[in-house]
Amino acid sequence: MAHESHTRTLPADLSAPVFVDGWKTRALMVGAVFSIVAVILALLGQAQDQLGWDHFLRAWVLGLVLTFGWSVGGLALLMVQYCSGGKWGLLLRRPLEAMTRSLPVVFVYWVVAAIFRGRLFLWAQYTNVSDTAAALKAGAITEIQQHCLDFKRPMLNSETFILVSLLCFAIWGFYTWRLNTLGVKRDADTPANTPYWIKKFENISGPGIVIYSLTMTAAVIYWVMSMDPTWYSSVYGLLFLVGQGYSVLALSIIVAISLSKAEPFKTILRQTEQHDMGKFTFAFVMLNIYLAFGQFLIIWSGNLPEEIPWYLDRIRGHWGVIITLDFIFHWLIPFTLLLSRDIKRNKKRLTRVCQWMVFAKAFDLFWLIEPNFKDAARNLHFSWGILEYAAVPVAMASFWVAFFCTRLQTRPLVQTNDPHLAEILEPEHAEA
Amino acid sequence: MPPREGTYGLLAEFDNPSDLVRATKQARQDGWRRMECYTPYPVEEAAEALNFHRNKVPLITLVGGLMGLAAMFLLETWISVLAYPLNIAGRPTYSWPAFIVPAYEWTILWAGLSACFGMLALNGLPALYHPLFNAPNFRDGATTDKFFLCLEALDPKFDLIEARKYLESFQPASVVEVQY
Repeated sequence: MAHESHTRTLPADLSAPVFVDGWKTRALMVGAVFSIVAVILALLGQAQDQLGWDHFLRAWVLGLVLTFGWSVGGLALLMVQYCSGGKWGLLLRRPLEAMTRSLPVVFVYWVVAAIFRGRLFLWAQYTNVSDTAAALKAGAITEIQQHCLDFKRPMLNSETFILVSLLCFAIWGFYTWRLNTLGVKRDADTPANTPYWIKKFENISGPGIVIYSLTMTAAVIYWVMSMDPTWYSSVYGLLFLVGQGYSVLALSIIVAISLSKAEPFKTILRQTEQHDMGKFTFAFVMLNIYLAFGQFLIIWSGNLPEEIPWYLDRIRGHWGVIITLDFIFHWLIPFTLLLSRDIKRNKKRLTRVCQWMVFAKAFDLFWLIEPNFKDAARNLHFSWGILEYAAVPVAMASFWVAFFCTRLQTRPLVQTNDPHLAEILEPEHAEA
Repeated sequence: MPPREGTYGLLAEFDNPSDLVRATKQARQDGWRRMECYTPYPVEEAAEALNFHRNKVPLITLVGGLMGLAAMFLLETWISVLAYPLNIAGRPTYSWPAFIVPAYEWTILWAGLSACFGMLALNGLPALYHPLFNAPNFRDGATTDKFFLCLEALDPKFDLIEARKYLESFQPASVVEVQY
């Protein structure tokens, strides 16, 4: 073929570049600094309004949900690319595998949240009918909250919370283990068996995507939505699912582009695939606002007393500023920037957009989490504690990234036993 | 305007995009400007090799989209606030959340139509006649599996004999003279 004169060759050494060590050190340092800041802020907050450690834990849940989105969202994206195929999938496969293998960190984060669940969830605080009645009398909860806590107790109680979460972690762990061990086996096999492996991964991933959507819906309902026991939304799981796609794609692009400063990603990251991933991310930005606004529009139209307070908690008392900023940060900025073809094809600029998207995701989670609590609902006010939302998640994400770097170093960065590899090494204009 | 006569240009046919891009890059480097590539599917590198300038389609799309947005939003506002103010569940007549969805749909519709027709207009389409269709190999191959480079006679460097020799140096499948 005439293309051959242009074909590039894969470097002999496919292991992670040396600078990943540097990332790890930097992440650990940032994590340490922000951990100290978080503890100081908690003490300051405790002195100010007795809520320092509460804010610490709420911010902890933010960090938990963010890193959970990377590990388990990474698992979902890994399964999606096994089913859909495509050259972008080959490119991201090993980074995504490393994200899934960072699940133990998320589990540790969850254990901490589970231990302190009494400070985060009303249902963990008031565990029986007499508790809620006493709390109502003391004015700690409202009548609606009392009713919901009693009515939903079969679902919202400590045992079920722990059991369901552990089950979810077991399932994610199983898929992580299965896909990761088979990924190595596949590379050791002969190319003649590739069709078998493609089918095999499809067969595992297809049902896996369904199971992922169910388990992750259960997890976010327990970890985030149940902070307000009175409210529910049937699109909640899907909203977080799309949110995970949003943040995991942003992170994957950052990782892929940062790795492309050295081999082997320097050879395999072509502009075409970078552009494709940018377009994919754009789709998630769109879907994300579509669902978020859809949920708002339906609840706003219905204007029912059991639904609308959730939004009023998040709009009134200066929270309107936050939701407006959320709309701008989370949708308007990534949307307008990712519209541009030039930005999607420019490594530096696309990285900046993706970094912004990771921040915007955290900002969105802040808006979702903080107004669940009595001291903050319809009352956005400054306290030392609220700064925890900047400190704790940064520390947690940094430690996650440091662990992710060690996982990245354990394997070659390119899966070689894949027909897409030959295509990705072709010159860009050869593809139809 | 009297009908144009004579040579439109020389058309070189290649079997694959790599050879086309290589030839185009070289021709551009050697000072050719009035030339064009024709491929059955978009070949980004060919556009780059031609030093293809930015066009106005994105701007037309943006303006079209914003016009659609403004038109629908204002229409809804006019209907709900001025023309037929109705009390719907006690909401204010200017209830903007309800206006978003149609306004958004019109943004997409107008942006899409502007992009489509703007692109056609900027391409000078619909055109009733193009000299390249006089070349039989172009008629058969340009939309299936052949890649063409046309050096146009309008280029000051163009000389029928020299240009043919030049194109043949890239070893194309054929070089055809195209008449107006």
